[in-house]
Amino acid sequence: MRRRFAAIAALAVLLTACSGGAQDTGATTGTLKFFTNKAAWEPDFDELNAASQPGAGITLETTGYSDANQYDAFIKQSFRTKESPGLFTWQTGPTLAALVEDGLVAETTDIWTEAVAQGWVSEELRKRYTYDSKQYCVPMNIAYWVMYYNKKIFDEHGISVPATWAELDTVAATLEAAGVTPYYQTSILFAFPWFQQMVMGTDPDLFEGLATGQVSYTDPRIVAVMQEWLQQQEKGWFSDAGSTVDPAVGFKQREYAMMIFGSFYNGSLDGAGLQQGVDYDFFVIPAKNPDLGVTPVATESGPLCVAEGSAQKSMGLAYSKWWMSPDAQTAWSAARGDVPFNPKAQVANPRLAELGQEIVSAGHRQVERYYEATPTPILTVALEQFGAFNANPSDPMPYLEAIQAEADKYWAEQR
Amino acid sequence: MALTATRPEVRPLPAPTGRSRGYQWSARGFVAPGVLLVAVLLYLPLLWTVFLSFTSYDGLGDPEWVGLDNFGEMFADPGFLGSLGNTLLWVAGTLLIPVGLGLVLALLTWNLPGGAWLQLPFLLPYAVSGVGVATVWSFILSGGGALDQALGGLFWIEAPPRWLVDAPLNTIVMIVAAAWQGVGVNALLFTIGLHSIPKEPLEAARLDGATGLRLFTGIVWPMLRPLTTVVVGLSIVASLKTFDLVQVMTKGGPGRASETLALTMYKETFVNSDYGLGSAIALLLAIVTLLASVLYLRRQLSQKLEV
Repeated sequence: MRRRFAAIAALAVLLTACSGGAQDTGATTGTLKFFTNKAAWEPDFDELNAASQPGAGITLETTGYSDANQYDAFIKQSFRTKESPGLFTWQTGPTLAALVEDGLVAETTDIWTEAVAQGWVSEELRKRYTYDSKQYCVPMNIAYWVMYYNKKIFDEHGISVPATWAELDTVAATLEAAGVTPYYQTSILFAFPWFQQMVMGTDPDLFEGLATGQVSYTDPRIVAVMQEWLQQQEKGWFSDAGSTVDPAVGFKQREYAMMIFGSFYNGSLDGAGLQQGVDYDFFVIPAKNPDLGVTPVATESGPLCVAEGSAQKSMGLAYSKWWMSPDAQTAWSAARGDVPFNPKAQVANPRLAELGQEIVSAGHRQVERYYEATPTPILTVALEQFGAFNANPSDPMPYLEAIQAEADKYWAEQR
Repeated sequence: MALTATRPEVRPLPAPTGRSRGYQWSARGFVAPGVLLVAVLLYLPLLWTVFLSFTSYDGLGDPEWVGLDNFGEMFADPGFLGSLGNTLLWVAGTLLIPVGLGLVLALLTWNLPGGAWLQLPFLLPYAVSGVGVATVWSFILSGGGALDQALGGLFWIEAPPRWLVDAPLNTIVMIVAAAWQGVGVNALLFTIGLHSIPKEPLEAARLDGATGLRLFTGIVWPMLRPLTTVVVGLSIVASLKTFDLVQVMTKGGPGRASETLALTMYKETFVNSDYGLGSAIALLLAIVTLLASVLYLRRQLSQKLEV
């Protein structure tokens, strides 16, 4: 009897430890616990405290995770405890939708309404944070996926920045003929940007249809894109997909002349000892379909969220509100060297400021990056298949069929 | 007085007194924290994993009971079957290379003056972590890496094999990398086994004219059996759970070409957030490992040494 009691008591202790959130303390100033999967950016977040302390009376206490999967599991687990974070980074798209559906993140509609009214953030970006006409989280950053190119290689071969897709093809052919591999590719993780660029540049609606299940991966238009990709592979336009050399290092060692990356990549290239404007630069990739009328640009935006059940919910929301302001975004741009989402913020890097202006100007369409837009199980298979295609360029149908099989399974479960 | 061997008297155990009961309680008190720790850190997660394997769960909300669906899904997935095949390749490869080479090395250095010193270089990689080994071998084997450069420079091989890209070559070269680390420790264990063989039967066999292979198959190998059992048993378990080397060197790719069961389990659980399917794979892996170990050990340990 006593033994049974002890066992039940032990189980009860465990269950209590695993249940529910905490009461919001209501404090709006103080030290805010912040969790992020961008461990490398920790010093940048710390630097922000110099601005957030006088600006909002809040100091961030940052805990950075360098493994994204470990981080996701930790955050999900934290919702079951009293330690659910007052502020944390996440991903937009289906993974954020899952948190919203379960009522785990605090609503930020008021913050968005005010920020949009002030002209601090675009309506377009607001859509990515909207679920059932309400907003959740605020954007931590925005990155535009552009083509980085080796300026010295371009100069040596008398190549200028291409204004059309046809010109881009000519650049690749010229480089290849001169013995320079035009593009970087990999078979691990970032195997999707070229597919994204070709499909999106053909028709942004077709591209967005893939993410929502409206378009099949075996659609003849997608197959045509893959066939073209295969031809480019056969022409030798891409680097060795099996290389595990850091892409920034390979770029520096002139193993390829161009690479598609987010506008945050400046930091990595600078870290590799390259100088922007001297060694490298970037351009917005022209639309593949010249009749499109707009240039689609893949954009990535990572959110800053507040847990609904956090003891620091009020403080997290206060910080989120401050984060939208030009002061905060100016400080962030200075700390991180990134493009701020707030057009009224001052951009530390003039070339990035130019890029930000160019993309918000007419003639461009921001399209959510494939990585965030695609539901995770489909994304996992797609990344594997694109990786395998890069490693062994051959008939694209089996690769596309494998992705579609997973997509069929996923969408059947959703309906 | 006659000399008779006296047997110690067997007395019935005394009824517990108040003092011995006190001892028992204090003994329980000492054991309790350990038992509690084991229960909380090992048994509860194990039971939770078994429960999750019958549910659909994405880490949020509550798990939803789906019965055997996860197991059906698991065996219907061609990627899983490929991963199972790779895992079996790892088991076979590990027995063949690190264990086999370890035995050869131990035999070659047995009875050699300073033999232990000859083994030392082979033992050193064991001190390196799995991730360290994987990083070094990635540098050697990746496209245009150290090995390709050496092949190009020394033998003018322009198009060397794509070590980490083509399957099953990628799994085989990773087994070689694992062997580089494991040979030394296996050799050390076999050396201990060889030194524990009694001298008499060996000398008797030698007097009878047995040398070389005959001596090995007739005398040494049977007498090494207890140790071989342990080495092989450990190798099977280690190869079934292969994770770190593959995760660092190829991440299971390209596609899923070099994935092992442990990697599939990790991917389903933490990348796809399909905790149910991940737990089902974990359960299968645990059962296979347990069965392999128990069957193997029972078979080996029940056989008497026939010398």
